[in-house]
Amino acid sequence: MQIKNSAVSMIIEAENQKELEEIKLQFLGRSGRLTLTLKEITKVPAEKRAIVGRLANEVKNVIEETLEEKKLTLGSQISNQQKQSIDITNPGIKPDIGHLHPMTQVLYEVADIFKQIGFQAADGPEIETDYHNFEALNIYKDHPARDTQQTLYLDTRDSKSNPGEIILRTQTSNMQIRIMEKFTPPLRVIVPGKVFRYEQTDASHGFEFWQFEGFAVDKNIRFTDLLGVLDYFVKKFFGENTKIRFASHNFPFTEPSLEGHISCITCKGKGCRFCKFSGWVEVLGAGMIHPNVLKRMNINPSKYQGFAFGTGLSRLVTLRYQMNDLRLLTDPDLRILEQF
Amino acid sequence: MLAPLSWLKEYVDIALTPKELGEKLTEVGLGCEKITKTSDDTIFEFEITPNRPDLLSIIGIAHEIAAIENKKIKFPKLGNLLKPKKIIPLTIKTDPKINPRFTGIIITRIKVGESPKWLKDRLGKMNQRSINNIVDATNYVMLELGNPIHAFDYDKIKGQTMIVSQTKGGEEFESVDGIKYHLPKGAVIISDKEKIIDLCGIKGGKNSGTYEGTRNILIRVPVEIPNLIRRTSQALGLRSEASSIFERGVNMGGAIDALKRIVDLILELAGGEVSSELYDIKNQEFKPWKLELRKNRLTEILGVEISDKKILEILEALNLSPVLKKDIIETIIPTYRNDLKIEEDLIEEVARIYGYNNFPKTMPEGIVPIGQIPYFKDYRLDEKIKNILTASGFSEIYTYSLIGEKDLLQGVNSQDLLRIDNPVSRDYEYLRPTLKMSLQKALTQNKSNFEKINLFELGKVYLGRNLDEAKETYMLSGVSNSKSFFEIKGILEKIFEGLGIVSDPTKYIEVLDEGIFFELDYLQILKNRNLNKEFKALPKYPPIIEDISLTAKEFIKTVDLISEIKNQSPLVANVTLLDQFDNSRTFHIIYQHKERNLTMGDVGKIREKILKTLREKFNARLKE
Repeated sequence: MQIKNSAVSMIIEAENQKELEEIKLQFLGRSGRLTLTLKEITKVPAEKRAIVGRLANEVKNVIEETLEEKKLTLGSQISNQQKQSIDITNPGIKPDIGHLHPMTQVLYEVADIFKQIGFQAADGPEIETDYHNFEALNIYKDHPARDTQQTLYLDTRDSKSNPGEIILRTQTSNMQIRIMEKFTPPLRVIVPGKVFRYEQTDASHGFEFWQFEGFAVDKNIRFTDLLGVLDYFVKKFFGENTKIRFASHNFPFTEPSLEGHISCITCKGKGCRFCKFSGWVEVLGAGMIHPNVLKRMNINPSKYQGFAFGTGLSRLVTLRYQMNDLRLLTDPDLRILEQF
Repeated sequence: MLAPLSWLKEYVDIALTPKELGEKLTEVGLGCEKITKTSDDTIFEFEITPNRPDLLSIIGIAHEIAAIENKKIKFPKLGNLLKPKKIIPLTIKTDPKINPRFTGIIITRIKVGESPKWLKDRLGKMNQRSINNIVDATNYVMLELGNPIHAFDYDKIKGQTMIVSQTKGGEEFESVDGIKYHLPKGAVIISDKEKIIDLCGIKGGKNSGTYEGTRNILIRVPVEIPNLIRRTSQALGLRSEASSIFERGVNMGGAIDALKRIVDLILELAGGEVSSELYDIKNQEFKPWKLELRKNRLTEILGVEISDKKILEILEALNLSPVLKKDIIETIIPTYRNDLKIEEDLIEEVARIYGYNNFPKTMPEGIVPIGQIPYFKDYRLDEKIKNILTASGFSEIYTYSLIGEKDLLQGVNSQDLLRIDNPVSRDYEYLRPTLKMSLQKALTQNKSNFEKINLFELGKVYLGRNLDEAKETYMLSGVSNSKSFFEIKGILEKIFEGLGIVSDPTKYIEVLDEGIFFELDYLQILKNRNLNKEFKALPKYPPIIEDISLTAKEFIKTVDLISEIKNQSPLVANVTLLDQFDNSRTFHIIYQHKERNLTMGDVGKIREKILKTLREKFNARLKE
């Protein structure tokens, strides 16, 4: 107790950091008063040892706390004096934190938006059979729709596969097949992933880019649900005031099929270079899953219906951040990455 | 596909302005890409989907406009084929299996010459070069009605014989535009007694085309098999307007109309007279077909009830001759709409003309599926790990899966990698087996602008030397030129902690010349994760903490010393290395009893035991 009181009063009266250091040594140092007292603890009768021990610890804590407090007040006094000589408009010292790639940020956001309406995310193979990527989706060999998805074929040397059978997937729609062949409805799924095309690279094309696919199959999934879900997504992702417009289209694995256009993010639909002065940008393709696709998956199309949609995840990223070149997404330049 | 407004107006009345028309056609599926005003016309440019060969013709586009404007189409007037005054011989040997319909007629004594201005103008608006009146007429009727037509110089058909067959492969053929091809196997061709005169459905032959001086011609309006035309066209990398139509499926029932139209036009432009009977070789009738639409099915799929009146109106406007019978609507599909095969196709027709944007928007009803799907992906795990990395100063990159031979690391043989047969370039020929070179490249690229560079990627790699062994997995890899080995180790330890994994991270770390690199098989790591957490009550009694400095030979591993210290008593709650200098190491030891206060005596005994063991096992001693 004595030790505590004298230490505390000395601390309070101390005028600078140096004095504080001396006080600390005097009590808590290797041959300080408290330390020495503790060493004598063995002389105390065994039954009281615990009490004395606890007391000593308490004293130690009080001294340490008081020291810390005093240190802070002394510190702030100094800094208050110094403030006049320091330019506090200098930038703060930021912690070194890295940056998540914009693709990742958009992907998480998309997954989150769909999670809210019950869609689970799936991830599947990029090395794929022609069957899963094309045939099962009604895109037979020699189908003209193959022109829009020029394909990279894998070398089949030393393997059981025949040339042309194994490809790099051209679309994430392969996962509709892979999931439906293994799992019975109801289903609500989204599939983000990388796809590959035989395509020369320019600002809006690439041989590798990201898509994401979504589909739902249940007893009463209707065309109007597809329109509603797409509208929900577009408004959640691009903002409540975004308009969506649908146009009829053709995909071999959906019937009816559509394309979705949204009001241009850049000019709010007024017309600008980004939307080629149309006020609209094309963002997605969709439709009601073709009955032949369901049949092939042993899902009875007179009992179950479904919709599917797909869009370029890479495209969503470039739209969101108004980037004019898809290649920026695979450029590891930190001057780009640090903007996100 | 281009379409001048003036031409469209010949077949249908148009009330909409060009801009409105473009928008409306886009909505119904005929994507209007561009509208160009010229001095005397407006030219539309449309994107045609692969299912609609009929829209590769002006009349087809006019049909769509008629449907949205709800008007009738005015089909061009067709004359009757005149009886030939004389007949000149021609033998045709064909096989409906490779050439379902061979329609043709001979016209003699024509005068090949320049086309009239109206024809040149019209072709010009379609971006077509005028050649001569005969070739121009065949192109004109193809553009108008959608049936490709070819005119052969009758006098150049040796032996007055035409034989349709398939190639064996390797045959030489010179097209009408003077380019020589070696034909692939299976191409459909027409030969005369001596030579190949036509590459069916794609290009005519130079040796039998219509030129100045041609007097007598055979007009052929064929139906070809889409697959066969497409395969040959792909193999040769040769496309034509005709092949685009044939590979989508030509209007099989339109051949006779197209023939009548071309005969009328040629007689008008080049004179001459019909000199053969009509050839129409086929083994089936190409008639319109019936298709039924159940009203309740339409409602089920679309989610709204559309009135009978409206449905019938739409189908009527599309020229599908609908008849309502109770709950079923029967339609008759004209041969030019070969995309309409099943009920769903009719549902789409109703929906698109009704207008997709006139539908209400709803959300799916029914239960939210709960069972975990196959291929389920939990992005929260990725997020957690990526957050640790960014918090540690790493930025994320995405790089290509495809790499070139020059990207390969030393010691890696391209023979051992999965390879693309048709790479876009040699720089993207192989699938990457590691993310290392991408990260190294990225590090180098950033050096000119940054001193401290910390990068990571969570991306797929592709393992196996051939497709039977092929395996895709994710690697989590990073590179840093500013962090120490122990900082990297600590970050990986933090990641493992976050996943509840006990593992030694050092095996994933590699010290490179330019920095520290790490790479771990992400899926393998995730397999061992344990995210179950259970709260442990806080200790009620205070711990005793002390630091012990030891001297021990440097080769003795810290990890061994720590585990030995821990082994000495369950009361040792935690041991960490505070400091290391030469052969001395200071350990921070926390003693803790769960049920009572520890005494210095308790601690003293444990300490003695620790020191004794360390002395005996490692010859480590308390530092004086």
